Amino acid sequence: MFKYVNQPIEKIDGLALVTGEEKYTDDFSFNNMLYVSVLHSGYAYAKIIDIDDTEARKMHGVVEILSYKNVNQILYTTAGQGYPEPSPYDTLLFGKTMRFVGDNVCAVAAETKEIADEAIKKIKVTYKELKPILNLEKSEGSPIIIHKDDGAFPKIPVFYDAKKNIASKVEANVGDFDKAFKKSSRKIEFDFYCSYGAHCAIEPHASVSYLDLRGRLVIISTTQVPFHVRRIVSHVAEIPVSKIRVIKPRLGGGFGGKQEILLEPIVALMTWRTKRPAKLVYSRREVFKSTRCRHEYKTKLEVGYEADGTINALHLDALENAGGYGSHALTVLANAGSKTLPLLNKIENLRFTGMGVYTNLPVGGAYRGYGATEAYPGYAQAIDMVCEDCGLDVVEYYKKWCIKSGETSAIFQALGEGKEGVAMNIGSTSLVECLDEGAKLSDWYAKRKLYGPDSEYNKGKRLKRGIGMVAMMQGSAIPEIDMASAYIKMNDDGSFNLNVGATDLGTGSDTVLAQIASEVLDTPVESFIVYSSDTDFTPFDTGAYASSTTYLSGQAVRKCAEEIKKQILKVGAEMLSLSNDEVELNDSRVTAKENIKEEVSFAEICQYSLYQKNQFQIQATASHISPKSPPPFAVHFIEIEVDTFTGIIKVLNYTATVDCGTPINPVTSEGQVEGAIVNGLSYALFENYYFSPHGKMLNDTFGKFGVYTAFDVPPIKVKLIKSYEETGPYGAKSISEININGALPAIANAFYNATGKRLHNGPFAPESILKVLSEK
Amino acid sequence: MKLEFKINNTSKAFELLPNETLLNVLRNNDFTEVKCGCNEGECGSCTVLLDGKPVNSCQVLAMSVQEKEITTVKGIGTLYTPHLLQKTFVEAGADQCGFCSPGMVLASYSLLKENPKPTREEILTALDGNLCRCTGYVKIVDAVEMTAQKLQTNNLEME
Amino acid sequence: MLHQNLEWFFPHKVEEAVKLIEQQGVILHGGGTRILKTSPKSIRGLVDVGKLNLNYIHHADKQISIGAASTYDDVIRYSAKTKKLSLLAQALSEAASTPLRNRITIGGSLKDFPIWSSLYAPLLALNAQIEIADKHDKVISLEEYLETGVIKTKHLIKRIIVEDEPHLIGGVKRFALIRFEYPLFTVAVALRVKKKIISEARIYITGVKGRHKHCKRAEHFLLEKELTDDIIQQATKHFTPKFVSDYKYSAEYKEQTAKVFFTDLLQELKGKL
Repeated sequence: MFKYVNQPIEKIDGLALVTGEEKYTDDFSFNNMLYVSVLHSGYAYAKIIDIDDTEARKMHGVVEILSYKNVNQILYTTAGQGYPEPSPYDTLLFGKTMRFVGDNVCAVAAETKEIADEAIKKIKVTYKELKPILNLEKSEGSPIIIHKDDGAFPKIPVFYDAKKNIASKVEANVGDFDKAFKKSSRKIEFDFYCSYGAHCAIEPHASVSYLDLRGRLVIISTTQVPFHVRRIVSHVAEIPVSKIRVIKPRLGGGFGGKQEILLEPIVALMTWRTKRPAKLVYSRREVFKSTRCRHEYKTKLEVGYEADGTINALHLDALENAGGYGSHALTVLANAGSKTLPLLNKIENLRFTGMGVYTNLPVGGAYRGYGATEAYPGYAQAIDMVCEDCGLDVVEYYKKWCIKSGETSAIFQALGEGKEGVAMNIGSTSLVECLDEGAKLSDWYAKRKLYGPDSEYNKGKRLKRGIGMVAMMQGSAIPEIDMASAYIKMNDDGSFNLNVGATDLGTGSDTVLAQIASEVLDTPVESFIVYSSDTDFTPFDTGAYASSTTYLSGQAVRKCAEEIKKQILKVGAEMLSLSNDEVELNDSRVTAKENIKEEVSFAEICQYSLYQKNQFQIQATASHISPKSPPPFAVHFIEIEVDTFTGIIKVLNYTATVDCGTPINPVTSEGQVEGAIVNGLSYALFENYYFSPHGKMLNDTFGKFGVYTAFDVPPIKVKLIKSYEETGPYGAKSISEININGALPAIANAFYNATGKRLHNGPFAPESILKVLSEK
Repeated sequence: MKLEFKINNTSKAFELLPNETLLNVLRNNDFTEVKCGCNEGECGSCTVLLDGKPVNSCQVLAMSVQEKEITTVKGIGTLYTPHLLQKTFVEAGADQCGFCSPGMVLASYSLLKENPKPTREEILTALDGNLCRCTGYVKIVDAVEMTAQKLQTNNLEME
Repeated sequence: MLHQNLEWFFPHKVEEAVKLIEQQGVILHGGGTRILKTSPKSIRGLVDVGKLNLNYIHHADKQISIGAASTYDDVIRYSAKTKKLSLLAQALSEAASTPLRNRITIGGSLKDFPIWSSLYAPLLALNAQIEIADKHDKVISLEEYLETGVIKTKHLIKRIIVEDEPHLIGGVKRFALIRFEYPLFTVAVALRVKKKIISEARIYITGVKGRHKHCKRAEHFLLEKELTDDIIQQATKHFTPKFVSDYKYSAEYKEQTAKVFFTDLLQELKGKL
């Protein structure tokens, strides 16, 4: 059906990546460059009484030191979100109050990294240690106030109460939950705890800055959000936006961890003041402790239902640990409800309540899944419990009760990101087929019958087996808020420049966007010279988050290419002495509809239009905002084996069926599913932040934190099941986040199927599993 | 001090300090294809081959390997003359962000050079020191198997 | 961070190397994978073992000598080729990662005995001997090396000597949830069995409180017995390693799981008979 879309086109930067030719931020160095080191707080909560940097300044090779003493105290949010940001302005670049172990005290720029590191050691800081809050349940209303009289404020009019340590609060109601819950003949209450998690992108955070030949600040950075970087650096460093250029080169993974403005203001100030290039590269330990992570969550479900499985009322409550600062505290919280509840849209009485609280622990930020990951384990187990109680098969249950084509959920309107949401109807879904196909591929019905806690198979066995599943939704872009744009111009040889703000963090979006343009213009992907994520040369794009690049940026590219198409046809018609509707595009040519032999090539068209007659540059730009956020759907089936003697869970099989609309590039789409699944697995089975009694993260290396190697990956089956989303480019929705959400809920449900016990705490690490098994 | 090293079949003189790691020396001398992911020998993005065997260059003191043949991913194949293995990585979709790719290519190359018909277990073992967070490893393992297959089908030697 | 003015030595003779490390702040350098993590700034000199001809593995007179500069990978390859040292090779092949196994030397790993090391348990179970060179050359049992504190003195390890015992059956198990992880413990068992009766048993575990333990009670129990399910269960009761709680696992969990692994290991050995 499609020529370039839904084709396994090789990534256009692929060869340059695998031959080591492409460069990442730390691969850029400049003459006369300074190296920056940051001193981080060793205290979870402390006030800086004084910083004495005289010894450090005396050191040969130390050029500049930044601290609260010489940096203006300007409140901002580090969250890379659209302006005005839905995260509180509660952060200072170098403030006097340290709110978590890893917070920034000061920074040194020196001739070498070694000198900078040595200088850090010579800086004498006098702290007044304060009693910290190290438990999210002890935060609200605590006499210890983490943002006390510091002027922190919400940038948009939302609930914010720093005096009670509340960084965010959300409530949405549909119908009358209390009444319907009371009236229900059966009730379930269920709670689930999700741990801290880390992105573990293999490339650490890095930023390099320099002044160009006209004195403008250029920042090369490991960022998912170049345009937000520009704006926020301007605000914090007090440099006009027009004097700042932000470039994202190749990026070594982000997963949300680089949707944060952390290092850029530091190097920006260093360069602006010293007039010299500056480079800051975080060590792996700094990435673990001082960047962002997945929020710790406690969710509670209350479900009122009837014997036939009809759910009358459902309440999802979420308590979120924002950490020392509130970046993404509101939006992750809102998504915990908005990316879960609409899935079962026939529930007439819904309540979502959520609160994000400050603690003196590492700061949660954007992380693939973004609230949905933390809400599904409780939600999906509650559904599993309802089905068990009513004697229903879960797959059949989802098939019956899930949201269908043309339907809506009141939650879409009720729950936005800091303001009202956007109502929408489902325009595309293959969820039911995903359920059926996944059940078939995973041998669901047979295995569900074979296993089971009281089954012959599992009775008396040390190694018990079970199978569990979960059906999920996410979103595609943030409706009516995020915008993407594209620019295309044509060159003499029939090639095109495609400039997009959209950020390729390894997802292959540069290639995917070129495929979309290829499809419009009926010309191979190689015809496109893609340049992305440079605030001087590429038009605006909010950046790579909220699963938006294919859906939103892709639609901007499509619209832009359509404009180019019009211009090409016009010139081609002129050259062929035909009218516009007598010609069509045909494989990098314009041909007469009536006679394919009457043709003129793209190269000829461009040469004509640039040099010969009625000259003009064939070029166009287009922008796009989406009126809706059509959800991708996914169903995950996981078969596990539990060693009841050691508590070790082994995943035997993982089956995922996914509806992302039209997969623009099936290979990169599968890659997204596989990568998200493996990340979801490690988060489900062992990822955690272990803290000292004083709030310091103890397992801050890959070896101690734990990252899967190729050896640890179980057999994974992925099947993409198409649907067609009219509002997306060639029917596409999104795929990048949703599949990280499946492991926790599906493994928990499989665990119940194997042992008859419910899991209330992630990660499902051996010792805690053994504890659960030994409980009555 | 300035010393001669053998990199990618050429001799190069590097300025280095006696306490510097091989990773540092390489990156300071424009071999930026060797990446730094953790600097603690745990992620493998700094992989280079020493006399054909993969090692974490961040854990190797440069002074101790003066007489070894050092190979970076550009020694396997370049953008202009890519190796079959590298082309197959791209074909299989094994490259997402690409940060682990140089290390993965070197580890796979070293395996296939010695053992052109590896079992799946042997491939997983060869890659067990290279972390990837993007791909879930699925297409990386596919790429190695595909390359082995191509070598067999076309009766090729691993160059 | 190592000192900027580090001095390097590349001696060709063991005696030279021994003399050099007598100096304050001068230590041996094998693969270097631990030096960067554990060496303080006070290290002034590194003596590289690369030219001392200690990277060999020889078989002579029913003994296998592993030169101290052999890497984990060298041992694994040797074992694959000769089908000897399989107990040791099994433990090493799961340790660390491919690029690390290509650098970690036996000698370096013996001298620097991190609690998560997988090297000691199998070597102790094989009753290995160690030849060291300090002011004098001597060969002592690896157990003596540990228990009398020789490990803490200044010396150069020349080789490990393991008896080539084809009639020994053994196995090793380590607790690691994922491939690249620091194992919680490594337990190794070697048995000599004659006509189904156990005539010799060697059981060691590392990762415990005190770093290593020679499980004499369990060994003693197994002597003169046949490896049956019942004996295995009883033997486990005599296997009581003690652990320290850490931030990930409690001591009780480690103790309980070590027992399970020990039972599993004996079951595996029973299957081999």
